[in-house]
Amino acid sequence: MTDHLTVTTRPITGGTVLEFAGRLDAVTSPGALRTIGGLALHRGQRLVLDLTRLDFCDSSGISVLITARSTALAAEAALALVAVPRGLRGMLARTGLDAVFPIYPTLARLEESWVPRP
Amino acid sequence: MSRVDVRSRNNVVVVGQPHGPTVLLAHGFGCDQNLWRLVVPALAERFRVVLFDHVGAGKSDLSAWSPERYSTLDGYALDVLDICAELDLRDVVLVGHSVSAMIAVLAANRDRSRIAKLVLVTPSPCYVDDGDYRGGFSRADIDELLDSLDSNYLGWSATMAPVIMGNPDRPELGEELAESFCRTDPAIARTFAQVTFLSDNRDDLADVEVPTLVLQCAHDAIAPPSVGRFVTERIRGSELVTLDATGHCPQLSAPEATVAAVVAFAETGVR
Amino acid sequence: MRREAGDDLTGRDDEVPRPGTSDPAFSALLEDSAEDLYEHAPCGYLSTLMDGTIAKINTTLLGWLGHHRDDLVGRRRFVDLLTVGGRIYHETHIAPMLGMHGAIGGLALELRRADGSRLPVMVTSVVKTGPDGTAQLVRTTIFDARDRRAYERELLRARQEADRDRERVQKLATTLQRTLLPPRLSTVPGMDVAAYYHPASADEVGGDFYDLFPLAGGTWGFFLGDVSGKGAPAAAITSLTRYTLRAAAASDPDPITVLRVLNTVLHHEYNGTDPRFCTVLYGVLTPTADGCAIEMATGGHPPAALLRADGGAEFVDIPGGQLVGALPDAHFAGTRVRMSPGDTIMLYTDGLTEARTRGRVRHNEEELLEFLATVGPTTATGAVAAVTGLLRRFGEGVDDDTALLALSLPVGTARP
Repeated sequence: MTDHLTVTTRPITGGTVLEFAGRLDAVTSPGALRTIGGLALHRGQRLVLDLTRLDFCDSSGISVLITARSTALAAEAALALVAVPRGLRGMLARTGLDAVFPIYPTLARLEESWVPRP
Repeated sequence: MSRVDVRSRNNVVVVGQPHGPTVLLAHGFGCDQNLWRLVVPALAERFRVVLFDHVGAGKSDLSAWSPERYSTLDGYALDVLDICAELDLRDVVLVGHSVSAMIAVLAANRDRSRIAKLVLVTPSPCYVDDGDYRGGFSRADIDELLDSLDSNYLGWSATMAPVIMGNPDRPELGEELAESFCRTDPAIARTFAQVTFLSDNRDDLADVEVPTLVLQCAHDAIAPPSVGRFVTERIRGSELVTLDATGHCPQLSAPEATVAAVVAFAETGVR
Repeated sequence: MRREAGDDLTGRDDEVPRPGTSDPAFSALLEDSAEDLYEHAPCGYLSTLMDGTIAKINTTLLGWLGHHRDDLVGRRRFVDLLTVGGRIYHETHIAPMLGMHGAIGGLALELRRADGSRLPVMVTSVVKTGPDGTAQLVRTTIFDARDRRAYERELLRARQEADRDRERVQKLATTLQRTLLPPRLSTVPGMDVAAYYHPASADEVGGDFYDLFPLAGGTWGFFLGDVSGKGAPAAAITSLTRYTLRAAAASDPDPITVLRVLNTVLHHEYNGTDPRFCTVLYGVLTPTADGCAIEMATGGHPPAALLRADGGAEFVDIPGGQLVGALPDAHFAGTRVRMSPGDTIMLYTDGLTEARTRGRVRHNEEELLEFLATVGPTTATGAVAAVTGLLRRFGEGVDDDTALLALSLPVGTARP
C-alpha cells in the first residue's frame, strides 16, 4: 500500500477523468484540491472521479469529493464517482452523501448511461 | 495482568555449575553485567552464577523501564526478587556492587525466603554528607555529576559519542559485546544516577538479618573506607574485608582477591 | 640529481633555506621536535599508572592546570584532577570502559585547575600494554574544549527549550480541548449520565465534541459529533459548532431545525475550496411518567445504541440524515425513542469517518453492537466503562479521537 496519492488526469468524451490511486488523506488532499482547482470544466461537461485504486480515504478525502462536486456544479458540469471502494461507500451512505454523488461500478457502465447534453 | 518476561527484561544469563550453590551478581550504576567478566570464570568453577542487566542498562529491555517503578531503588530490588522467583533460586548469595549493594539490602529485607547471604561490594548507603555522617559528597557534587552526564549524553545523542575504539589486543571480545558494553539509555541513566546518588538507605542496614560481607577498596574515590566501616557497624554480625586495591570496581582492579573473598564467605557455613 | 654550481642559468643561488633533508638547519628543527612536540603540543598529554597515579605530564597541560610538575607526578591520580561529578563518572563508567576496551575517546570532562577554576576538556585515553600483553600505562590526550563546551551548552539549552515548548503546546492543546467539552456533565434528575473523551494525540486538539444541557420546561438537550480534520482549524469549527448548537436549541429545540441552523452557519463559514463539516447526533430529552422520551436527529452520524433493560441492544437508525455543513441544502432526519427504567442510550464517535477502504475495518458498528449486547442491561456509567475497557484493549492502535456520551434511567426510578 502506498503512502502517497497519484492523481492522473485524462480526457474522455465530453469531459475529464481524474484517477486517484493511493491514499486520500490530510497529507495528500491539498494536492488533489489543486488538481481539481486547475481543471478547465465547461458547461454540460462531466467530471469523473475513478476510485478503482484508492486505498484509503478519511474526512479530508471527503472534503476533496465535496469540493470536486461544488467545482463541477459551479461550472454547470456533472460529477460522477466510479468504482467506489466498499468502506468509502459505507461512509457515503451513512453521511447521506450517496444521494448527491452519482455512483457507477465501472467506467463502462458510466459510458453506457451517459447521454451527452445537446 | 500480562506476565512479564523477566529473563529478557533483565537479560538474565546463567553460567557455571547447574547444581552448585547460587551466586547472583548485580552490577552497579554506569555499566552492565559485563563488569563481572573477570571474576565470572573463577566463580563459575564452583557456583551456579546468575548475571543480569538492570532495566535500562546493557541488553535489558528498555521498553520495560518506567519512571514509576524505577524512580526508587525498590523497583530495582523487586527486579532482583523477580529474577529469583523466575529461576526459583534458593539460598542465594547475592553480590551487589556499588548501588546494587543497597538494592541487595532492600531485596534481602523484603523477601527473606530466597537470599541466604549478602556480599556488598564497595557499598554506600548514602553518598551525600549528612550531619556527622560523611558520605563523601555534597548535594552540589551530585548536581555536578548529573551535569557531567548531560554533557556526555548530549554527545551520545549526536555524532560525538564517546568512541569505543577497536581493541586488537582482545580479539575474544565479540563486536556485539563491544557495542553494548556499558551503553545506557541517556534518559534512563540520568534517572538512575539521581536514584543512586540521592538515596539514603542508612536505616535499612539495621534490618538486614542474613550473614553479610562488606568488600571495600583501600582507595576508592566514591565509597571511602569510612563508609564501608559504617555499613559494617550497622549490619549486625557483618564482616569487613578491605582489599588493597584502587578504584570503585575491585572486580576489575583486583579480580583474584575479589573472587577469593567471595568464595571464602560464600562457602563458610553452607552445607 | 645533483646540480653543479654554475649550471644555474638564472644566475641565482639558493639564498633561502628550502625544506629538505640536506638542509642542516631544517634537520636540526626536526631533531629536537619529538621532545618539544610532547612538551609544547597544542594539547595536553598525560600518562598514568594502572592505579591512576600520574607518571608523566606535558608542559602544555601543566600550564593549563597551573600546577607544578612535582606536585602531580607520583603524587596525584588522574581522578584528583577531575571535578567530583567527573570523578564519579570516571569510576563508574570510564575506568570500566577503559579496562574492557583498552581505549575510549570523545569524553567530555572538566579539570580542576590549581586556582580552583574549571577547564572543560575532551579526553581520549589508550591503554599501553607490554610485550606480554599486560596493561602498563594509560596514555591520555586532553583537548581544550572551552569553545566547544559553550557551544554544546547552547545546544543543550536549545534542546531543553524545545522540550519545554513541546510541553507547553501539549498543555495548550489540553486546555483548548477542555474548553470544547463541558467541564462537568450536567446532572439530570433521575438519570445516570456518563461521558468519556480520549484525544488521539497530546499535541493536537481533536475534533470530537459533546454536551448535555438544560432547556426550557424541564427538558434537556444533548449532542455528540465529530468535526472533519484535526488541530487548530478543527478546533475553530468545533467551537463554532458547539455554540451554534446551544444557541439554536435555546431558540427552537426541534432537532431537525437545530441541525438546519448549524448547517447554514457552517456552510456560510466555509464555503471555500476546503469545506469544513461535521457529523452530529442531536437530541432533546423529555421526562415522562414512565421514563423519558427522546426526539433525536442525525447529521450523517453513526447511530446511537440503545441497551434495553432486558439486555437487548439495538441501533436507533435514522436513515437519510446528511453531513452538516458540506451541502447548502442538506437534508436531516429525525426519530423518536422511548426509554423505560433500566434502558441506556449511548452516543459515540469511533473514528468511523476515517474508513479504511480495503482490509479489515477495525471495529465497525456491527461489532460494537455485538459487544454492547454482552454488556446490557447496564447504566450509563457501566456502558461507558465497558466501552472504554474495550478501547483500552485496542491499546495504542486507536489512532483517532473517541468520545462517548451515555444516558440511562436506573431501574425503579419511574416517576409517580
